[in-house]
Amino acid sequence: MKKITLLFIAITAVALSAFKPVDSTPKIANTTEDVAPKGYAIGDEASDFNLKNIDDKMVSLANYPNAKGFIITFTCNHCPYAVAYEQRIMDLDAKYASLGYPVIAISPNDPALVPEDGMEEMKKLASTKGYTFPYLLDEKQDVYPLFGATKTPHIFILHKENGKNIVKYIGAIDNNYANPEDVTERYAEDAVNALIAGTDIKVTTTKAIGCSIKDSRKKK
Amino acid sequence: MKLYTLIAFVFLLSSATHRTKLPPVRASVNYDQLKEIIEKNDDKLYVVNFWATWCRPCIEELPHFLEVSSAYENQAPFQMILVSLDKAELLETDVAQMITKLNIDNDVYLLDDNKRMNYWISAVDSTWSGAIPATVFYKNGQKLHFTEGQLTKEELNTIIQQHL
Repeated sequence: MKKITLLFIAITAVALSAFKPVDSTPKIANTTEDVAPKGYAIGDEASDFNLKNIDDKMVSLANYPNAKGFIITFTCNHCPYAVAYEQRIMDLDAKYASLGYPVIAISPNDPALVPEDGMEEMKKLASTKGYTFPYLLDEKQDVYPLFGATKTPHIFILHKENGKNIVKYIGAIDNNYANPEDVTERYAEDAVNALIAGTDIKVTTTKAIGCSIKDSRKKK
Repeated sequence: MKLYTLIAFVFLLSSATHRTKLPPVRASVNYDQLKEIIEKNDDKLYVVNFWATWCRPCIEELPHFLEVSSAYENQAPFQMILVSLDKAELLETDVAQMITKLNIDNDVYLLDDNKRMNYWISAVDSTWSGAIPATVFYKNGQKLHFTEGQLTKEELNTIIQQHL
């Protein structure tokens, strides 16, 4: 017993020596190259699409003549960030579908690369969670590049203006994926609230870490 | 007696590695602290890779990143730093396990600055959408290159050669 304790102390001492403190003086940010990303920018008209839903029916934005806009959410089954936001995506639909802004969820990943993002798995998740919104598969992977989605989750809020779906917000749902109790910025809600109120959206684009979209044609 | 030999061996082993290289850092930092670490004026090329234990393309590319890192680290003013974007509470569990599994002896920092993502993603690079993996190259506080997505061993080598 004593021997084991001694050995443990020795190993702990070695392990502890692996840690060292870091200092913390903020510095001014420097920026260099700026390349415009592909996909929609704020103010662009979003094209309609026709994708298969978890009920095997096809869904297009044109199927929603009474909608005032859409909360297009690129998300998927497997990504921990997407999982963290499942409930909050459901909450967005519960809050805003009746106000004219339904959630349309689209899974952009190639199921050949990520089997748990396949249609059968999507059906299971939607039924387990009780999704109240379409959960579409971008089978040909030609819709997400049009939007310029790069990761999951990635939100695009559209507003119908003269029959056109205009992109009004691109980015994250809020500023704390890890803890919904400690969210201090509700970007997506603020954007939809502004559209409903007819006021300017204060923050039109945001960034958050997400899982890269899995597509065998491009760099992962 | 046998035990004391073993203990002595453990210490000897650790001091032998200490002579050539400091023990790797495992620490949580915020973005300001990370900036201090990767934007130093010391003529060293810093290769900073953003990854997470759950990110498949990240785990796929890490083995050849580590290979390239060990090839350069004693030959050139070069350091590869791995920045985990896992949840802070996973540093001692999932992240530590992956470090052991992949035999990582580079410094690993966990960037624990979740609520300021919208600020620091653009601060790292204005073109970064937030998808990982992503790799940034710095020397003397200047950003030399940024890549969102995987890098092959050859691509990584080429970028390093350009900037060493």
